[in-house]
Amino acid sequence: MSSYAYFFGCVIPNRYPGIEYSVRWVCGKEGFDLDVADIKDFSCCPVPGIFYSTDKDTWLLLASRNLTLAQDERREILTVCNGCLTSLLKATEYLQDPKNMGKVNRVLAQIGKKYTGVAKKSEGRRKVFEPVKVRHYVEVMTKDVGLEAIAAKAKRPLKNIKVAVHYGCHYLRPTEHQTFDDPNDPVLIDRMVEACGATSVDYEDKLDCCGAGGGVRSHVIELANSLTQDKCTNIAAAGADCIVTGCPFCLLQFDNAQKEFSKDGIPVMHISQLQALAMGIDPISLGFDTHHVSAHSLLRKLRGV
Amino acid sequence: MGEAEKTFIGGLHEKLVEDKIIDESQLEPGFAKEIQKYGGKDVMTCLQCGNCTGVCPISLKIDYKTRSIIKFCQFGLKKYTLGTRWVCATCYRCYEHCPADINPAEVMIALRHIAVREGVIPPFVKIAATNLVKYGQSVKPDPEIDKIRKELGLGEVHSKHVDYRHVLKEIAVLVHASKYDKLIGIEEEVKV
Repeated sequence: MSSYAYFFGCVIPNRYPGIEYSVRWVCGKEGFDLDVADIKDFSCCPVPGIFYSTDKDTWLLLASRNLTLAQDERREILTVCNGCLTSLLKATEYLQDPKNMGKVNRVLAQIGKKYTGVAKKSEGRRKVFEPVKVRHYVEVMTKDVGLEAIAAKAKRPLKNIKVAVHYGCHYLRPTEHQTFDDPNDPVLIDRMVEACGATSVDYEDKLDCCGAGGGVRSHVIELANSLTQDKCTNIAAAGADCIVTGCPFCLLQFDNAQKEFSKDGIPVMHISQLQALAMGIDPISLGFDTHHVSAHSLLRKLRGV
Repeated sequence: MGEAEKTFIGGLHEKLVEDKIIDESQLEPGFAKEIQKYGGKDVMTCLQCGNCTGVCPISLKIDYKTRSIIKFCQFGLKKYTLGTRWVCATCYRCYEHCPADINPAEVMIALRHIAVREGVIPPFVKIAATNLVKYGQSVKPDPEIDKIRKELGLGEVHSKHVDYRHVLKEIAVLVHASKYDKLIGIEEEVKV
């Protein structure tokens, strides 16, 4: 199996540390014991809604800096966030163009770094490089670890729990680079939920946007919230006990927006938190106290009260 | 005027000017080229089919029509596009449904590049950029969250470590090299 480097991004460490804990727990000794290391020098990916939107040169420089760190350690980047995934993956594609790579390396030289990609093999005197691999947590779990292994580790299957899965836009689109799941009919998070013993419920407009991305949440919050409200109405109609997503920014949006339009709200969690629950973690370690919508109703149901 | 321009908007352009809906002085003929410069595709090949608007989650909520914005771009009505308030969620649905392969989401991103260079910079961009230079992250660290991190045994966020200082220095060098500090106005200018 490959070796990975954690890339938690900005939102998880600074707003939802419980996700960081559960990812480390699931990937660590208690879970699947993956070869995954911390690279302390990682910075923000940088966030596409700000940097990719305002200056692509700066965005590419900052993303390349992160990529060189993983390249030098010869590790695949394991992202836990759709935004980091799309930003870093897009950067590896930009860097495939020798013109972009040259331009970036001329600036990176000022900080003693160089992006080449990972040297894979030598053909005579010529080295063959591959772009740094950027992988989503869901991809690593379903493709490298495998659904059977996830199900086998789910010692406390989440029976009776109905889950509404939210994929998030940058998990699916643009389809030119996201290829690990079907963009028009994604299934991997649903399969993971089911491997954990829970039921994934279908609901109307499942693939719709949460409303937060691209700077909308930061700029016109009412607009973002009104999109979230539509989604939550559909999710509530399907009778879901919780919302599960692979993206901390979608999670943040669902979690914060719900207090604007509903009294109790539907608990929201990251797929890693659901997985950790099924694997028997003490829920106190999942950091639900930093979530705005209380997970109380869900945990009660889990205990069978 | 290019061939595509004549075919698609030639007649309409004259009609709009005749009816005084827009006047000639508002038009910037090089606008489509400027969009391409910032990574957008050629808006002149847009068929105005409206698929992008049909699938846009934002257009359901407010008076924001992707198709119209592309139309403004074709005409060169720059000031209309700069006022679109960053409402695109970059969900890329329009990209998936565009038969002319324009990728309207990337056009919106090019428009933001142009807006920022015209001085239309929303405050959150400045805040996030400043956070990045200060903490290496776009989201500002929160002392309350740090307490919870400690309880969970996760330790402080890296941006606070002494050995993270060289990272902030590196970020400052990069941001300065691309002149982003000046463009966005990150606390005047980043000191390197």
